[in-house]
Amino acid sequence: MSRPIRDHEILSAVFAKMDVVAMTVALGSLCSLLFFLATAVLLVQTAPENYPVGEHLRDLSDYLPGYGVSWMGALIGACYGFLFGALAGFSAAVYWNLTHYFALGVMLISSAQLAD
Amino acid sequence: MKAMNHDVDRVNLKLLKAAIRFNARILGLTAGTLAAAVIYVATQASMVKWGADSGGYLELLAIFFPGYSVSTTGAWVGAFWAFIYCGTGSWLSYRVYGKVLGTRISGLLLSPVSTMNPVLKPSTLRLHGVSLGVAIGSIAGLGLFGSTAWLVIRGTAGESVHAALFSNYIPGYSVSIIGGLWGAIELFGLVFLSCLLLATVYNRLVKMRHKTS
Repeated sequence: MSRPIRDHEILSAVFAKMDVVAMTVALGSLCSLLFFLATAVLLVQTAPENYPVGEHLRDLSDYLPGYGVSWMGALIGACYGFLFGALAGFSAAVYWNLTHYFALGVMLISSAQLAD
Repeated sequence: MKAMNHDVDRVNLKLLKAAIRFNARILGLTAGTLAAAVIYVATQASMVKWGADSGGYLELLAIFFPGYSVSTTGAWVGAFWAFIYCGTGSWLSYRVYGKVLGTRISGLLLSPVSTMNPVLKPSTLRLHGVSLGVAIGSIAGLGLFGSTAWLVIRGTAGESVHAALFSNYIPGYSVSIIGGLWGAIELFGLVFLSCLLLATVYNRLVKMRHKTS
């Protein structure tokens, strides 16, 4: 039989802070892999000769210099994917933690006022 | 009275539900604000780079963001809609995550014995891959189906060449109700796998960093 879950364990889970470095690296790696695969999927598909493969995806090079729908482009895209994923992971983790601290601060102040 | 809030496993369900509601709101706020910032910056960057010729792909967002355009006012309108869509989606995701996770929540703490003072000495969050996959996967699938259905309802399914490009990544997808349903199922699978991977990498890194610190 499983042991009972105490209230402070639930509160610990709710107010647990996100590991900023771990989230940055994890989301960066995932985005890198997805970006690489998004390009690779187009490259391995059979297409008629001289058919412009990945015409729309190639437009990303307007924002990401050096990117293209080629194997080299896929690698460069993976680097950009890591960069943007890491940025998103870092922002999400920091913002998540800050919002929790802020909410906790508000709660503590409210409870202190109620106690007075 | 307190005993009424505890189930057979002696879990304070009232507190657990309140905790899930609280975190769902926080996640909705976090994701909504970040999405709004991304749309605002992307619109402004597009205007700075291309001036009068800006628009292109970004302008397509007006299909889902009423009133949006690649302009200064449009950037605020886009930010508003991004906040609404992403905030609601994330809020819903966390509600599903909490529902699937349920009373296993305490098992996700880094240390087997959680901190006695969760406010001043918070534990480190771990992710439950399956719950995360079910939560984000279902919302993503629902989102794809909803978007496709909207294109069909407004009668522009045939002209939606960009949406049809999803079939490169989701075999069998088409801008139709059946295609949207099929796409939703496949997208659920893809997102589920991605979430499993994300949770695995994140949890391993957390474990490693905790060991070395």
